[in-house]
Amino acid sequence: MSKTSRVVVSMPKTAKKGEIIPIRVIVQHDMESGFRHTERGVLVPRDIIRDFVCTYDGVDVFRAELHPAVGANPTFSFFTVATQSAMLEFKWSGDNGYASSLTSQLVVT
Amino acid sequence: MSTSRRTFIVTLGAVSIVPWLNAQATPEEATDAIKKILGGAKPRNGRVNLEISPLVENGNLVPMTVAVESPMTQADHVTAIHIVAEGNPLPNIVSFYLGARAGRAEVSSRIRLMNSQRIWALAQMSDGSFWQGYAETMVTLAACTEEVLI
Repeated sequence: MSKTSRVVVSMPKTAKKGEIIPIRVIVQHDMESGFRHTERGVLVPRDIIRDFVCTYDGVDVFRAELHPAVGANPTFSFFTVATQSAMLEFKWSGDNGYASSLTSQLVVT
Repeated sequence: MSTSRRTFIVTLGAVSIVPWLNAQATPEEATDAIKKILGGAKPRNGRVNLEISPLVENGNLVPMTVAVESPMTQADHVTAIHIVAEGNPLPNIVSFYLGARAGRAEVSSRIRLMNSQRIWALAQMSDGSFWQGYAETMVTLAACTEEVLI
């Protein structure tokens, strides 16, 4: 697995102030559990994403701590309150120096 | 590549033993993991709704949704939701940390399940109290047991 990969975030571009908006994120990653073996019985080392965080104008609004039991290509659906127009930043980090991030602008009216 | 009969037999033996070497977590290990999360607090039943299909065909990718009844105000909100398995190799599945800014305490994801088992969801509130809920599932095809073809 490369040190970074594709991520997709789906969220509304605009929202009314105080509105609860849904956010759905997905990241391309094998999430190698560390419990699988090759056909010759060699253990495949663990290589997973450990942490996901969503910040809204610099403030953490959602964080997930991942373990090997999270399925491949981890996806999360969660909510946040639209408080003001700002940048939302999404960051993933994991084993073997894995890191990826994405920012998305939200306009609040 | 030509494989001798001996190599083939040895490989066959190794492959058939391998799944049994993965000691799976017991409900006791899950209890220990839950105790660690609780840190001495006593969880109450209710308010947490964990939705997982009761019959899972493929344990590799199981959709789950956890929702906690909470007003999600600055004074009273959910701070964390932990998902714990009784029958996986490791009891911890995933932990979510949120706050009043979430607006709604509801999270969806996809998890791996190795066995038919009970999955717990523990929610920590802003006042420090814990609430719990669980879901029972039947898993027909387990995660973790397949081989990697390299």
